[in-house]
Amino acid sequence: MRTYEVMYIVDPETDGDKVAKLNEAVGKLIEKEGGEIVRMDDIGLKTMAYPIQKKEEGYYVLFEINGTGQEILELERRMRVNDMIIRFITVRVDEDRKKADKIRTKREARQVKRASFRNAPQAEAAEAQAEA
Amino acid sequence: MAEKEMEMLDEREPLGVGEDVIGDRPRRYQRRRPRQVVPDYVDWKDIDLLRQFVPERGKIMPRRISGITAKDQRRIAKAIKRARSMAMLPFVAD
Repeated sequence: MRTYEVMYIVDPETDGDKVAKLNEAVGKLIEKEGGEIVRMDDIGLKTMAYPIQKKEEGYYVLFEINGTGQEILELERRMRVNDMIIRFITVRVDEDRKKADKIRTKREARQVKRASFRNAPQAEAAEAQAEA
Repeated sequence: MAEKEMEMLDEREPLGVGEDVIGDRPRRYQRRRPRQVVPDYVDWKDIDLLRQFVPERGKIMPRRISGITAKDQRRIAKAIKRARSMAMLPFVAD
């Protein structure tokens, strides 16, 4: 199972109803193709760093999807032909997150070890007190 | 920790042209010696973090100035490029 982040920018001139409908359609498509939506974030209208198709603003939507990759293929194909979507990106995040987790657990383990050395004399004293 | 950083500085400036010679003015460009902390997971959507590595011009800050590790620099660079493609960061700004 893989985790993906799919973000797309919708043309700011489309009305809110249509955007909501589009998001719903995307969600349905993913579920139909066997994916699972972890998170759906309607970021909203934002000023873009540079104009795309002569538009200064864009409506940002972010999806986080668990799946096999098959649904991404289909989703991307549909996004490519959709005129409302002016840009999209898909990023696979599970591997990097796993790596980050590994680093974090390693660091925490190291800190625990270090702390145990540093506090060893105190801990022994505390233990002795507790026993007594 | 402070000692370690001193060691690294010495290693990079073998000529010994340091603060003693010129005074307290840094040489040519300012190195960000106390390295910035890069999170374990660099989120390409975290624009505030990425902006720290993108000066006004919009270019990615080189490693010799950002002072982060090579590994972190690669991850930051990749995240910046992703953010750029989604118009969250500029390719060029002036």
